[in-house]
Amino acid sequence: MLNCKVNGKEIKVKQGTLVIDAIKQADYDVAHYCYHPGLSVAGVCRLCMVKIGDNPRLQIACNTPVQEGMEISNEDEQVKDAVKWGLDFHLINHPLDCPICDQAGECELQIQYMKFGQYDPEMAEKKVKKRKVVDLGSKIVLDTERCILCSRCVRFTDEVSKTNELGIFNRGDRSEVGTFEDKPLENDYALNTVDICPVGALTSKDFRFRQRVWYLKNQSTICTGCSTGCNVKVYYNEEGLFRVKPEFNEDINGYWMCDQGRDVYKFVNKDFRLLEAQSVTEGQAEPLSAGKAAQLAGEKLKELTKVNGPESVGVVVTGQYTNEEYESLFDYMVNKLKVKNIYHWVNNSDTMDDFDGLLLRGDKNPNTYGLKEIMKKYSIQTNMSDLEGAIKSNTIKTIVVAGPENQAVYPDFNERASLFSQASNLIWFSAGPVSAATSKHTLVIPTKTYAEKSGTYVNYKGTHQSSHKVTTIVRGALSLSDSVTLMSGESILTKPVGPQKAMKTNFFVNKSGEL
Amino acid sequence: MEAFSDDILVFIKKECSRYETRRSAIIPCLYKLQEKRGWISPEQIGQLAVAMDIPPVQINEVMKFYTMFNQQPVGKLHVQVCNNISCTMNGSRELTDHLCKTFNVKSGEVSSDGRVTVSKVECLGSCDTAPMMQINDEYYENLTPESATKIIEKLGK
Repeated sequence: MLNCKVNGKEIKVKQGTLVIDAIKQADYDVAHYCYHPGLSVAGVCRLCMVKIGDNPRLQIACNTPVQEGMEISNEDEQVKDAVKWGLDFHLINHPLDCPICDQAGECELQIQYMKFGQYDPEMAEKKVKKRKVVDLGSKIVLDTERCILCSRCVRFTDEVSKTNELGIFNRGDRSEVGTFEDKPLENDYALNTVDICPVGALTSKDFRFRQRVWYLKNQSTICTGCSTGCNVKVYYNEEGLFRVKPEFNEDINGYWMCDQGRDVYKFVNKDFRLLEAQSVTEGQAEPLSAGKAAQLAGEKLKELTKVNGPESVGVVVTGQYTNEEYESLFDYMVNKLKVKNIYHWVNNSDTMDDFDGLLLRGDKNPNTYGLKEIMKKYSIQTNMSDLEGAIKSNTIKTIVVAGPENQAVYPDFNERASLFSQASNLIWFSAGPVSAATSKHTLVIPTKTYAEKSGTYVNYKGTHQSSHKVTTIVRGALSLSDSVTLMSGESILTKPVGPQKAMKTNFFVNKSGEL
Repeated sequence: MEAFSDDILVFIKKECSRYETRRSAIIPCLYKLQEKRGWISPEQIGQLAVAMDIPPVQINEVMKFYTMFNQQPVGKLHVQVCNNISCTMNGSRELTDHLCKTFNVKSGEVSSDGRVTVSKVECLGSCDTAPMMQINDEYYENLTPESATKIIEKLGK
């Protein structure tokens, strides 16, 4: 460990720590654009200037390792002046089109610019016009005028995705970022460049112009797109989820996530959801509330196991639920109803073990590991292919399906659904509508998605990660655990959601007598 | 698009093994490509990228940075007027405008008779004799608009 002082505050840092990280460790702000902890050091933005000891010349903090006894200052007047001028140079050719820019509100350039109040650039020369709205394929739009040439995106495609699409062309004030011959930027990690872009030069087509960032709240959760279990932040408001961004976790995903994971918020939103339960009896559909449907399902199962025996019930489970939900479902099925025919629905067995070498895995379920564990715990060894025979020979008459939340990653969804529909009774837990479930007596119960419940997911290597409830989108939906509680005949006491907010006292109301 | 001839491929291979990294061989290889036609097309960069086993974007970065590599066809006389600081202070912008007007050509484009291209380039390292220009491979220094016109007209004959 090394001792150093940051703005007079004594701290200890690890050997090899960069000055910029030491400043952050000491809880001081440091302006920077080009430095990113997940990439190599470029040292091109010249904004992280610090004064070290009595050195007459300022140094950049991102390319200077801390040495024993170093006295670092980034609040010195000399530093402030250097940053101010550095910022002015960055703004020479920047269009300052913040009102129509998608990055506004989370733009590092805007933050510094508001801080230093350099509202009018002091250049007499005209701004260099560069290309705007360059289409970089299906995901990204590039605005070369807004770019401040920090080279983060270039280093990302060079070092992390290793696809080398981006580069900086021309020189001097005509430098601009781009791809060779404007080829589309279509690698699986391309949207990370949008995240690390400190300005609005690279914007995501999916998120562009849909929301102002200051109208969105965000919360950490786990990506359920595949078995890697990347740590992510979802951005949402009362209308639903709008985007997903990666969050740093050294053991799982580092600073990055794949582009497929960024689409995982879509099925959570209302347009793609089952809003209330449906009971279909011989083609006659009847809507009812989810709680009622769960109670009905419980009564039905109780009766059917009594009449036809527990062997006549088959349960199909997908790897898309939390450990807690599996626990309550298995407890109910095995211990209460004595049902042992529990099957693991594997969606893509051929590509299950695929891995692209970075993050993306072929297993498109967040909790296959957890499901396998619990099946082991209840010593259940079944094979999905046996189910088909059992349905056809009519030994299994009732099927309960804990279906996938994200139906898009189940290519065999409709095929399986029509197979299950051959049984005379079908109870399906699903987040989205299931039009292919057409059994004689069908009950479809809406479930919550990963963003609407708390629970534990276990990733491919057995790391347990707890994910917390973000928001409620479909009020009528139940988690699998809640459904099981209702099915077993118990009731759920409604608790107030979250801590009660204290009423804000209005200053003028209280003081009205004195005014 | 014709494939690279054998001597170019041999040259690329030799240059690539000559330096510590293959990226260092980009400039000599680009010079070699430009030798034949006087300019380099994007297709050629794609081919060079395959031959050198370097991402095309990195070759493009180098080519677009240096003004000595031509991205478009140039005329018989490629007049390259330095537009860096010393020359600009000594009137190189006016000189460029004058030459463009005299030979009826836009900066960077070829004149209609295919003889002259006037282009602005970065520092040619002859600041003490500013303003100056380079025509093909020769330097012409301490210019005035009149002397520059004369030189080009003489060479054009």
